[in-house]
Amino acid sequence: MKNSVSRFRRLILVTILLATSVSAHSQEGDWQIVNYWSEWCAPCRIEIPMFNALAQELEFANVRVVGINFDEDPRDVTLDIAEEMGIKFRTLTLEESASLALRAPDVMPTTYILKPDGAVAAKLIGMQEREDILTRLEELGLAITTDVSRREAQ
Amino acid sequence: MLFFNFSSAYVRSLPACTLAILITGTAVTASGQSVGISVELLDSPAPVNSHLSRVVSDTSGQIYLSWVSEEGDLARFSYSKLTESGWSRPELISSGSDWFVNWADFPVLSVNGDNMAAHWLRMSAEGSYDYNIEASFSDVQNQDWSEPRVIHSDGVSAEHGFVSMLPLKEGSTLITWLDGRNTKNGDEYGEMTLRAGIFSSSGQILSEWELDSRACDCCQTSSAMTSSGPVVVYRDRSAGEIRDIAMTRYLDGQWTEPRPVHGDNWQIAGCPVNGPSVSARNEQVAVAWFTAKDDTPKVQLALSSDSGASFTAPVLVASPETNGRVGTALLDSGKIIVSWIDTSSAQAKIMLSVFSGAAELLQQVEVANTSASRRSGFPIIESVGESVYVSWTDLSDSPQVRVARVSVK
Repeated sequence: MKNSVSRFRRLILVTILLATSVSAHSQEGDWQIVNYWSEWCAPCRIEIPMFNALAQELEFANVRVVGINFDEDPRDVTLDIAEEMGIKFRTLTLEESASLALRAPDVMPTTYILKPDGAVAAKLIGMQEREDILTRLEELGLAITTDVSRREAQ
Repeated sequence: MLFFNFSSAYVRSLPACTLAILITGTAVTASGQSVGISVELLDSPAPVNSHLSRVVSDTSGQIYLSWVSEEGDLARFSYSKLTESGWSRPELISSGSDWFVNWADFPVLSVNGDNMAAHWLRMSAEGSYDYNIEASFSDVQNQDWSEPRVIHSDGVSAEHGFVSMLPLKEGSTLITWLDGRNTKNGDEYGEMTLRAGIFSSSGQILSEWELDSRACDCCQTSSAMTSSGPVVVYRDRSAGEIRDIAMTRYLDGQWTEPRPVHGDNWQIAGCPVNGPSVSARNEQVAVAWFTAKDDTPKVQLALSSDSGASFTAPVLVASPETNGRVGTALLDSGKIIVSWIDTSSAQAKIMLSVFSGAAELLQQVEVANTSASRRSGFPIIESVGESVYVSWTDLSDSPQVRVARVSVK
């Protein structure tokens, strides 16, 4: 029974994945916040809820949050780990992230902000807070009205 | 300025354990010293699907190679000795299907005369990141490995790892580790501590200390024996998130207040996963480390001639095309070896830099191609006489541990 549920859950996950599958260029036109994470990295785990919230908040601002599993796990393992870590934004394996042409980070976590053409606009080393990200986006000329601030304004 | 004169690779009549001499060369330094170097790839006793290797020697110069091989969920920790006729038949130390097997935090084998100590990491709870350090000991009386024991007494399900071991007198071993017992104190992730203990040849704990109450979470520790006593290096973590390399020394029965080896002032709220390495011979101490202040990766080397009481300003070993993963070794002649990863091309390389005792670069040689990826792990080096043994994981086909011997003349 447990295996059936597990298989069913995996099927759902894969379906969701296929539906939202990102090759690195499928979101051309959007800014991207690319967060390298790893299961063994404590600061990575700490900032995941912030990125989950931010992914929702920035949905209407054409800014996408994308995670990359820093370890070289295959997709099914990456999905399992992402689920265990509570990651709710799109996640790529390291291999899948190759087309982003980002230098593998020296420090975990590391977060890149990419322009719509894929160019690196900012490299944020170490654990980030929501305000760090929003401030940096603002410095880059993005007038961000998050879903949260919309609700607050209302 | 170095002048290199590498001869082309060639094969000659070699002992059974040797496959080929890959490269030889000489260099003449600015001070006129001529340094010859040769790299021999040795046969490997480790099977396919092996990784996480370490090479270690005992005081007689006997070389041991340890590794982890995996088959499904089962991890097996084994070792072999290098004899004149080649590698001995691999001996199993321990195995388990509930181990925490990690590219940066992996088992250590320590050899102390007829005694040995070894550790691995076993998951301790449902949480994916909680694991204990289990160790087993083999002493003169009991040539078999002892029942594994958890070396820390906290009983907290948390992260424990990044072990280093140092042989002491009477077969005892100094074990140093990162201990996450305080990370689970409150709602927020707490601080990683650095702890150490002395364990007898049969595994009984004789002393235990907290060396630092706040260390970087996921960098390797390293220890060495000086004429004044043991020293431990690790990546510190200040209140302001400066994560430079610190050293503490065991003097007169107590540990000194940790002090930075050098003030890089690298401020990061994250994990470099790139610990320092220390080697010592009498009063001579060499520490190599990775830093990346201002997002500029560097490998640096600092020397001490007073058992670590003070250090020279660092010399630059490599920058910026490196991802660190350093090792150090001291030769009988006093020359210093630093291993590091060169990432200047798509194919990363394992490099050895040879320095004089005065930190003059004498020679630099590529040992092998590798990968900058996590799966290639951390190369490990160990010196015997004027030779350095290097072990690493070759990813060119299935992962397999490789070994080379580098001779410096």
